[in-house]
Amino acid sequence: MSTQIHKQYWKALEERNGAVPEDLHPHHPHEEKEIPVGRRDFLKLAGFTVGGTLLAGCQRAPVEKAIPFLIQPEEIHPGRSFYYASTCGACSAACGILIKNRDGRPIKLEGNPEHPLSRGGLCAVGQAAVLELYDSLRLKKPKISGKDVSWVEVDEAIKLRLDQLRRTGGRLRLLTGTLHGRTAAVVIEKFLGTFPNAQHIVYDPLSSSAISQAYEQTHGQRLVPRFHLDRALTIASFDADFLGTWISPLEFTGSWRAARRPDAEHPLVPYHAQFESRMSVTGSKADDRFPAAPAEIRYLLRELTSLLAAKANVPIPDRLKQQGVPASLSHVSLNKVADRLWETRGHSLIVAGLQDVESQLLCNFANHLLGSYGTTIDLEHPSRQKQGNDRALAGLVSELREGAVDALLIAGVNPAYELPLEPELLRGVPLLVSFSPYWDETSQLAHFVCPDHHFLESWGDTEPVHGIVSLMQPALEPLFETRSLLESLSAWAGELKSAYEIIQENWRLNLFPLSGAKTFESFWDQTLHDGYAKLQRPSVGAENFRTAALEAVRSEPLVPGHALALVLYPKVAITDGRHAHNPWLQELPDPISKVTWDNYACLSPQLARDLKVEEGETVLIRKGNRSLELPVNIQPGQHRGVVSVALGYGGMMTERFAHIGPKWLEALPSIGRNGRVGQNVSEWLGLTADGLSYELDEIKIEKTGRKHPIASTQTHHYLTVPKHLAPRGGERRPIIQETTLAALTEGAHEETAHHEKHPELWSEDHIYPEHHWGLVIDLDACTGCSACVIACQSENNIPVVGKDEVRRQREMHWLRIDRYYYEEGARVDVAYQPMMCQQCGHAPCETVCPVLATVHSSEGLNQQVYNRCVGTRYCANNCPYKVRRFNWFDYAHEDRLQNLSLNPDVAVRSRGIMEKCTFCVQRIQEAKIEDRRQNRPLLDGEIQPACQQSCPAQAIVFGDMKDPKSRISQLIKTRRHYRVLEETNVRPSVGYLSIVRNRGEHHEETEGKSHA
Amino acid sequence: MLEAREISVPLIGGHKSLAQVTSDVCSAMDRRPTLWWWLAFSIALLALGVGIAATSYQVATGIGTWGLNRTVGWAFDITNFVFWIGIGHAGTLISAILFLLRQRWRTSVNRSAEAMTIFAVICAGIFPLIHMGRPWLAFWMFPYPNYRGPLWVNFRSPLVWDFFAISTYFTISLVFWYIGLIPDCATIRDRSRGWRRKVFGILSLGWDGSYRTWLRYETVYLLLAGLATPLVISVHTIVSWDFATSIIPGWHATIFPPYFVAGAIFSGMAMVLTLMILVRKTMNLQDYITHRHVDVMCKMVLFTSGIVSLSYFTEFFTALYSNNPYEQFTFINRAFGPLGWSYWIMTSCNVLVPQFLWFKAVRRNLVVVFLISILVNVGMWFERFVIIVTSLHRDFLPSSWSTYSPTTIEIATLVGSFGLFFTLFLLFCRILPVIAIGEVKGVLEE
Repeated sequence: MSTQIHKQYWKALEERNGAVPEDLHPHHPHEEKEIPVGRRDFLKLAGFTVGGTLLAGCQRAPVEKAIPFLIQPEEIHPGRSFYYASTCGACSAACGILIKNRDGRPIKLEGNPEHPLSRGGLCAVGQAAVLELYDSLRLKKPKISGKDVSWVEVDEAIKLRLDQLRRTGGRLRLLTGTLHGRTAAVVIEKFLGTFPNAQHIVYDPLSSSAISQAYEQTHGQRLVPRFHLDRALTIASFDADFLGTWISPLEFTGSWRAARRPDAEHPLVPYHAQFESRMSVTGSKADDRFPAAPAEIRYLLRELTSLLAAKANVPIPDRLKQQGVPASLSHVSLNKVADRLWETRGHSLIVAGLQDVESQLLCNFANHLLGSYGTTIDLEHPSRQKQGNDRALAGLVSELREGAVDALLIAGVNPAYELPLEPELLRGVPLLVSFSPYWDETSQLAHFVCPDHHFLESWGDTEPVHGIVSLMQPALEPLFETRSLLESLSAWAGELKSAYEIIQENWRLNLFPLSGAKTFESFWDQTLHDGYAKLQRPSVGAENFRTAALEAVRSEPLVPGHALALVLYPKVAITDGRHAHNPWLQELPDPISKVTWDNYACLSPQLARDLKVEEGETVLIRKGNRSLELPVNIQPGQHRGVVSVALGYGGMMTERFAHIGPKWLEALPSIGRNGRVGQNVSEWLGLTADGLSYELDEIKIEKTGRKHPIASTQTHHYLTVPKHLAPRGGERRPIIQETTLAALTEGAHEETAHHEKHPELWSEDHIYPEHHWGLVIDLDACTGCSACVIACQSENNIPVVGKDEVRRQREMHWLRIDRYYYEEGARVDVAYQPMMCQQCGHAPCETVCPVLATVHSSEGLNQQVYNRCVGTRYCANNCPYKVRRFNWFDYAHEDRLQNLSLNPDVAVRSRGIMEKCTFCVQRIQEAKIEDRRQNRPLLDGEIQPACQQSCPAQAIVFGDMKDPKSRISQLIKTRRHYRVLEETNVRPSVGYLSIVRNRGEHHEETEGKSHA
Repeated sequence: MLEAREISVPLIGGHKSLAQVTSDVCSAMDRRPTLWWWLAFSIALLALGVGIAATSYQVATGIGTWGLNRTVGWAFDITNFVFWIGIGHAGTLISAILFLLRQRWRTSVNRSAEAMTIFAVICAGIFPLIHMGRPWLAFWMFPYPNYRGPLWVNFRSPLVWDFFAISTYFTISLVFWYIGLIPDCATIRDRSRGWRRKVFGILSLGWDGSYRTWLRYETVYLLLAGLATPLVISVHTIVSWDFATSIIPGWHATIFPPYFVAGAIFSGMAMVLTLMILVRKTMNLQDYITHRHVDVMCKMVLFTSGIVSLSYFTEFFTALYSNNPYEQFTFINRAFGPLGWSYWIMTSCNVLVPQFLWFKAVRRNLVVVFLISILVNVGMWFERFVIIVTSLHRDFLPSSWSTYSPTTIEIATLVGSFGLFFTLFLLFCRILPVIAIGEVKGVLEE
């Protein structure tokens, strides 16, 4: 048995090079026997064969070619990331994104800074969408009656049924969410055109249908206008959570932020009054926030309108005249709001999120009185982000009730879950086709499931605002056998085309002529490169305000009721529940309540006292024969007559979380008694001809005595310490600092911020020869939206730990947003403070680590060396900011496929070690290497940590504090700059800019600065 | 007058002859174990088993099996560690400092006190090890030459100082104990046969009881006592630096070293009392461990309780006088916050309960003294819990405030440490002379 190498002497050059001519290799049967295959050789060969087969098996046979690199482009290298501009498909706002691709797969989504709507940020939901791409629970094949089949089979079967419909003239209904892409419209039109009786019905689970209905009446066009918050000097919002979840929150946050210029020579901060029943993200940023019950909000809007009409000397019908503010609303300074709106008319804006056409009519009237049209409200190029028509939806429902629908095709929505429908309604449809990529409530009922692509693997186009179009482009081959809706519909209409062809064809025909570009190719390529294009679309042709429309407003006197109202609202991360199966979003603390993994009944502190319930106990909400048991969350700022509950929970897709999180002796599941996360409240929605309604009057509530612990990341919510424990003078901690616009204006030429100087024992301990990285966070701009938290999670491979671990205060987020309340009389102020490792100059963590696992870098970074960490946790104990996170367990990733979204630049940490924010050191290094390679100096702003990149409010600025010209150095010099716990002399590298409130009081003491 | 009478009371009762002393002390080793011993031993073994199971589970699964969280990174683990280190203090104090101070009464208790020290330090040493996220890498705490480039331990970290302090303390205590055992090993060697003769023959290092041997022995003993004396002060001083060098309000206090040392002696003495009262009763050593011994130790407990109480007061005063709102809040919260109950257990056990020892009648009543000694140890365990957990759970940023409750695994680990301690101590009672025969013979009345 010889394993020695048999030398092969070559007889010709061809042979050496591998090409062995037959005649050079004489056949010697005798020789072959001389080379026996030994055991080792056999094993080697077998190994190679098996390995080779496996490797070959890993290659996906490409179906639709996204142009592979036959010749590797010079600028692209394996191991380096490159970016594709695309459009986010996570909700109907269609923000511009950049897909960070690494080694052929998307690993992170970022905002497209050049996109005219989103201006660079990307919200939490958008960021989290990358995880859904790799979701192994997505349907891998189409289904017929729940069984996996091939597309050919599905197409055949469906075509057969559709042909039948075409012949018989049966009613076909296509039910979708907002699809604002023009190509989709064309394809749908073409598809529906092949049927004698077909209709496309659009609804939005978070409906703005009342707005478009009102505009139909006041301006003759069914539309949702585009609001320009950046042009507004005064904003009054009636229950519109425009910074949180309303229509296009990212766009609104960007433009809201653009209007705030507190550091300018003439400081400018718009005045914002919020009328709302619950505490919303928007309300938390308002200068004046007036809690009011839903009926009161309507009443206040009408009162405000009549006040404005009086100022404008516009006659109004008697029944709309002012009726005076009842005692229950004495805290509302409506006159002040009206005065301020009137003062800045032309630059004022009233928005209303009420799903109530009358209120929207009044809102339009008020805006008309203030001259907002053409300035802060754009009707010529309106938003197309909410196309839903609830009246049509109600019509469909009554058709379904009559059993008159012969075929129902459902795409992009999950009506069986999110609408208050009896399940029999959908079950009774003879042909039900779902395009859902998941095995959800609707696809379970469907006869055919034709799963759509994830938006990161599919071509698509959008037009979120009239005249601004953008493309979605695939960043990788579809992972499963899914197919784009466009392809499915055109296949069934008889045209077998790829989505790419369909879109390009439509763009060539319909959009290119409006682009002003020379050739279609240049237009297409430029749009693909930029991610968007502006078209010269003619205005939609809205008419002037029709006063006659006000006739429709009936007058109702305000009934001073003591009844409780139920308000259903969307949360920032979960919204309508379409992403509730995303673990990142489930574990993202709600910006306001800081609760994860559950929905709950928000009660005002007073109501909770009256009911004698505490947080974590459950209450039973009842109306008629409906009842709902939910844990209690006591919510300061909530109106006492309102119980609010979040939508989007309790969906079937959350059953997957039964086994999430570490498993050990005392571990509790993340799901509730119903086997799901939270409770579905869609049956409490109202669906009438007036549209979807999110309010319900006269509910009953009672204490159950049962408990359902909720997992909140924050247990103490105030800047003040508990009263009975408060030392004199130290009641409120100077962690959040606030100032007023008046104070800034008065002292506009004052000295810049002074920082406390402490004696230095080791002044030469850390010298920073080249860079000293720092961060400045503008608390005034921060809306708490938590985009940065998910960005950080995505960038830094932060695990999800499950509800029980969060409840045990062991969440792993490196970046958290601390939310504090501060109560002054009846007013509840909210402050957000993004908190991450402060990269202290005198870091308490560094001195105490026994094994030098956390050390100071020459660039001011406090580096955590995972390999070296033995896990004594002393560093975390000694951290005054408590930003260090410990790996209590091995946090296995639930979904192995989801590990593809891990960032290869960041180590995945194992059990027993400490981790924390690194200032995205991998990004710093990448930029430094790139610049060194190109032999150029680092530019300010070139390095953006993930949090800064994602921030829609541009509240976070990273930079080199050693460079006096850098933006961060400028910000450090501003008067608003301060550092948290500066008095401990740990020398944090992170600074904060104080909150500015536009309030009448001239000098509210800037808290803490004068503190001893 | 009273003092004169006290002095006239002999240290060892019962008018023992030299031979009687030997047979009294060694009889426990000659007899078969009593039923009580077996009962105690099985309970201790059971507790140890529970502890081993819990610790194995924890090491295999993760620190998450403890009730710690992002805010409270230490709780039972370091509480137990400091508690056991504190217990270990009395041994060296009795053997070294009291030896140097010529406190002849120590001879009856020093052997078991030293044994207690060693077992307590073993128990203590386990906790820093298992509290690590990756205990299999614990050797990184040791500054050994390695091939990992310039990686070295962090000499600025109190945890490294701890490592040195405890290992030194353990080594010196063990050597000191062993040196003290040599004459007694020779005694046992001489009165036994078979394997025991061989083993004790080796352990007695060829002791021949000659004048020269005694002379050298006593020189070595004196030198070791001198070496061990600073350790009594240093070990707990360094342990206190684990907290004092941090910046957490409630930890960052200059009073910690003396406060910790006094507390350690306090708890150590209480533990010696607990054990001695038990040993005396169960092993028929009433003549050796007399009321006088108990009385003296009670006075030590009372004295150290005074220091500890003063420290509690000083801490509060410093905080309130500091005008530092964080510091002030920490102390108010310590007493009246959500974990305030632990503070009140601590103060009542450590400040109020020992005050009964002012009364001679109490000091004479062994049942009461026994109860007091146990309460003092409960109080001292809670002192460490209070310092560690109440300081951590609500520090600077209210957003990170949290609370703490132990899991069953943590409780099982604490139980296990007691199991280990008593297993070792019960074995000690069977295998070695619990009273230093040679030294006691020196203090017999003429």
